[in-house]
Amino acid sequence: MIQLLNTILIGVTAGGIYSLMAISIVLVWRSTRVINFAQAGMALLSTYFGYEAMVQLNSFWIALPVAMIGGAIFAALVEIILMRLLVKHSSTGPIASVAPIIATLGLLGVIRAVVSMIWGGQDVRITGPLSNDGFSVGGETLVFSPLKLLILVSVVVLMLLLSILFQKTNIGLALRASAYAPEIARLSGVKVDLVRTLGWALAGAAGAVAGMLQTVNGNGNLSPDSIEFSLLLVSGFIAAVIGGLESLVGAVIGGLLLGILISFVLMYVSSALFFIAPFVILLAVLFIRPQGIIGAKAGRRA
Amino acid sequence: MKAMNRRKLITASAVLAIVGLAATAIPAQAAEVGVSSTQIKLGMTLPMTGTASLGYNKIPGAAKAYFDYLNANGGIYGRKITLVVKDDRYVPTEAVSKTNELILKDKVMALMAPLGTANVKAVASSVNPARRGVPVLFVNTGFSGFADAKKYPTTYAVLPSYVMEAKIMGQYINENFAGKKIGLLYQDDDFGSDALAGFKTAGTKFAVTVPYASGSQAAATAAGWITKFKAAEADVVILFGVTSASLYMLATAAQLKYAPQWMIGSVGGDATTLKLAGVPAGVLYNAIGFSPVPATTDMKDEYVKFFSDIYAKAVPGSAFDLNVLLGMNSAFMTAQALKAAGQNPTRKSLMAAIDSKGATFANSALVPLGYSATSHVGLTGYWVGKFSPTGDLAPIGGTYVAYTTDSGSGAVVKSTYKRPAMPAKGLPN
Amino acid sequence: MHKRHNSSHIIPFILGGVVLYFISGMVDELRVYQGASIAVYVVAISSIILLTGYSGQVSLGNGALMAVGAYAAAVSHISWHIPIILSFFVAVLVAALAGALLGAAAARLSGPYLAGTTLALAIGLPSLANQFSILGGEQGLLFDVGFPPLSLGENFTQYKWFFWIAALAALIMMWLLQNILQSRYGRTWRAGRGNEVAAQLAGINTGRSKILAFTLSAGLAGLAGAMLSMTIGTVSPSAFPLALSFSLMTGAVLSGITTLGGVIIGAVVLVAIPEIADVVAHRLGSSESVTTNLPGLIVSGLLILTVLFVPNGPVEQHRARKARHEAEHNSSKK
Repeated sequence: MIQLLNTILIGVTAGGIYSLMAISIVLVWRSTRVINFAQAGMALLSTYFGYEAMVQLNSFWIALPVAMIGGAIFAALVEIILMRLLVKHSSTGPIASVAPIIATLGLLGVIRAVVSMIWGGQDVRITGPLSNDGFSVGGETLVFSPLKLLILVSVVVLMLLLSILFQKTNIGLALRASAYAPEIARLSGVKVDLVRTLGWALAGAAGAVAGMLQTVNGNGNLSPDSIEFSLLLVSGFIAAVIGGLESLVGAVIGGLLLGILISFVLMYVSSALFFIAPFVILLAVLFIRPQGIIGAKAGRRA
Repeated sequence: MKAMNRRKLITASAVLAIVGLAATAIPAQAAEVGVSSTQIKLGMTLPMTGTASLGYNKIPGAAKAYFDYLNANGGIYGRKITLVVKDDRYVPTEAVSKTNELILKDKVMALMAPLGTANVKAVASSVNPARRGVPVLFVNTGFSGFADAKKYPTTYAVLPSYVMEAKIMGQYINENFAGKKIGLLYQDDDFGSDALAGFKTAGTKFAVTVPYASGSQAAATAAGWITKFKAAEADVVILFGVTSASLYMLATAAQLKYAPQWMIGSVGGDATTLKLAGVPAGVLYNAIGFSPVPATTDMKDEYVKFFSDIYAKAVPGSAFDLNVLLGMNSAFMTAQALKAAGQNPTRKSLMAAIDSKGATFANSALVPLGYSATSHVGLTGYWVGKFSPTGDLAPIGGTYVAYTTDSGSGAVVKSTYKRPAMPAKGLPN
Repeated sequence: MHKRHNSSHIIPFILGGVVLYFISGMVDELRVYQGASIAVYVVAISSIILLTGYSGQVSLGNGALMAVGAYAAAVSHISWHIPIILSFFVAVLVAALAGALLGAAAARLSGPYLAGTTLALAIGLPSLANQFSILGGEQGLLFDVGFPPLSLGENFTQYKWFFWIAALAALIMMWLLQNILQSRYGRTWRAGRGNEVAAQLAGINTGRSKILAFTLSAGLAGLAGAMLSMTIGTVSPSAFPLALSFSLMTGAVLSGITTLGGVIIGAVVLVAIPEIADVVAHRLGSSESVTTNLPGLIVSGLLILTVLFVPNGPVEQHRARKARHEAEHNSSKK
């Protein structure tokens, strides 16, 4: 019984972080129709920004916004410099459909190499703001702690903030319009370029939160090669696909589902499936419900 | 001015010509590849970057620190040792191409301390140092196969094998934890299967075994492992995995207030690395640990004192841990092998020196070396210790109790080995 | 547009082989080994070019398919005692079969979905080797093609033997591929890549043609995997990291992803990058962490720069410039 409960709790916490990653992938997708394979790399870089703030000011609560702002600025710069050049140079021709994928992969590699050059000498640590000691219930310690509670709260808060932002303003609509019909959007007075940059910046900030939380959840060690970040790379994408790529709520549900599924596989089947399980889950989703859980019908083949 | 320059040129040419003639007149010495009149060149490939580099990327710095000390104190018969290090990122393809560069381009005399079973195996098969006659000294893996002098005639093991460690652990359990429920965490590959074989020989019965896939170590998986050990009510939990496995296990256990009697294998049991990575000292307290070399904090030990002093000067700010100690120990043994290989060392004389005198090489280990004309087995056992309240491995009751055994079905016996005193100034004699 | 020949002549390939034969006799052993690596990359990169450049599908899973081929070759040789030559064919067949399955799934997915799915595959698949003892776990299996025949002489090195086998395989593959691409299938792929809907209207079964491209590409990747294992003597999961798939993508983009002709450029660059990085790092006297990460930075940096500024690769760029030049020349004549 306690094993089952713990399995779910492990999955929910991991899934919460996947959700954040999925949210940032969805934001970029919605604003520019690009799957950003560098998202985990950008999260890694932002987390190092947060680490530098920790070193200077020794407070997680300052480091987190620093990481978010740093991540947002960096993402905005990537959109302004790299993505616009890409649209200019490679939006036609046989390579057009694959150019963004290749470019973001290249960006991932560049970020990893540069981060390793600057900080890679040895692992650094970020201490979490809350205790990671598990809650006790009836003499049993659960795999759930104040820190893990914070992770889930962050996911909910971030999603609420984004939802309010999208509902109270026209940003959500503008994002969609800019991505689907940039010309029409422009004619109706939408600053398309600005909206796209905004989409990337929001994604950068969300990714930064994911990076910071993933680090403190995984014992606080930060390294450019850590498995935690390889996980974010794949899991964020898969969670976003499960959620249908278009919806924030879908991304959160996708992340939680993926986290719980992987947790069950590892606990009850075999830990050797650690890397292959996400692939199988992804394939299953693509075949059974290709439009995702909350997704438009024609999404997949566009 | 001009005339003088011309005169200088003429003189210089004449001198050069004479030197050149003299050089051709003297019969060329049978110099070995990588050995010149002033230096001996050695090569090393290991992961300096990537997931597998944690801790191990300190080994080259450690070896260089000792060689620099040696070079400053006269080198080997006046020759200085140069160590060329290449990063293989723990990828066999890279290990092969980097080793090729070391042998064919940098023209090193010998390879030392390559790391990782898959890499050493790939290099043995593709580069084939055996056929080229290139010695591979003191490989950093506990896979017992590399000690097979028939299969790998130029390769020398140094670490005790995983089988030996599991047998000694099993023996300790039989003596101290009879009747208790034992749990085992092991890596689900040949590293783990060597361990299982050793435990089988020792007759250890497990209440629960938890395999983990290499690369799956993470906070989330560790919570899963603990849940399984808890469910089986294990009294003693053996961690027979890599550093990151012990790390996640112990840190997560602290959060879940799970505290069985821990027993931590040497591969993943370096206290300094674990504590730096966030394992609270209190969790390590009273855990049982194993090591072939003295505790890295034991400053009463002449080798630990000597090595840590050199290292602190060479690499300031870097903690002196087990990887550093083992790296310097291998460098020290390499220096002795080169010295024993004679005034004009060759690859052949180097290996002959290890075969004939290797077993008596001075080194920090508290267990004997197994080198002989027919054996390339390195260290042959471990001492058993307990972690102190500050989370450092220390001998139980203050005295080192070591056990020796082999990688086969031989018995585990209490070691009677008396380590010889360190040569003067830590230089090969 | 000049009319294309229906089949590629075999003569240039034979000439290429003769040139390589003489070169292999003149350079030192390290270069011969690097030559063998180049041949491996030529085959691996052409598998990407076929898939991405010609059929418009982005796969990051070719590293995993190389692993499939490599394991198929090793297991067939070790466990079933199949002659080494045949084991290369087994590698091609098994990888092609895996590719056909993957292709059937892939035909239903568009660009980013396929890329993400194959990315998950590249990360997941090699670790499966730990699951089955026949695959040898983390330490892997030996894959030994044996010593060169004595008739080639005493001084014929192992690496020269690897190089000959690899170069021969690469030449044959390139010739076959050239012919396939100039056949009806090649035209079908290009049509589907340009505009899938238009191709469907023209009566082309785009789904089937995509699966066929995936199958062929996987077969090539499988061969490359077996060749790679030959040069490193073993097969193990860590030989096929995600970075391999990324490198291949860089090689393909550098080669000009839509033209097979430039494949040698990408292959040479991939083999040369570590050496170039080494020279640069030593010239600059950079620190250790810069030196060790420089190759990775160069590979990824080149990937971005090429996509941005030479999206169709140097060969195609040159061809386009020449065509433009000729057009201008002709119009000025008028």
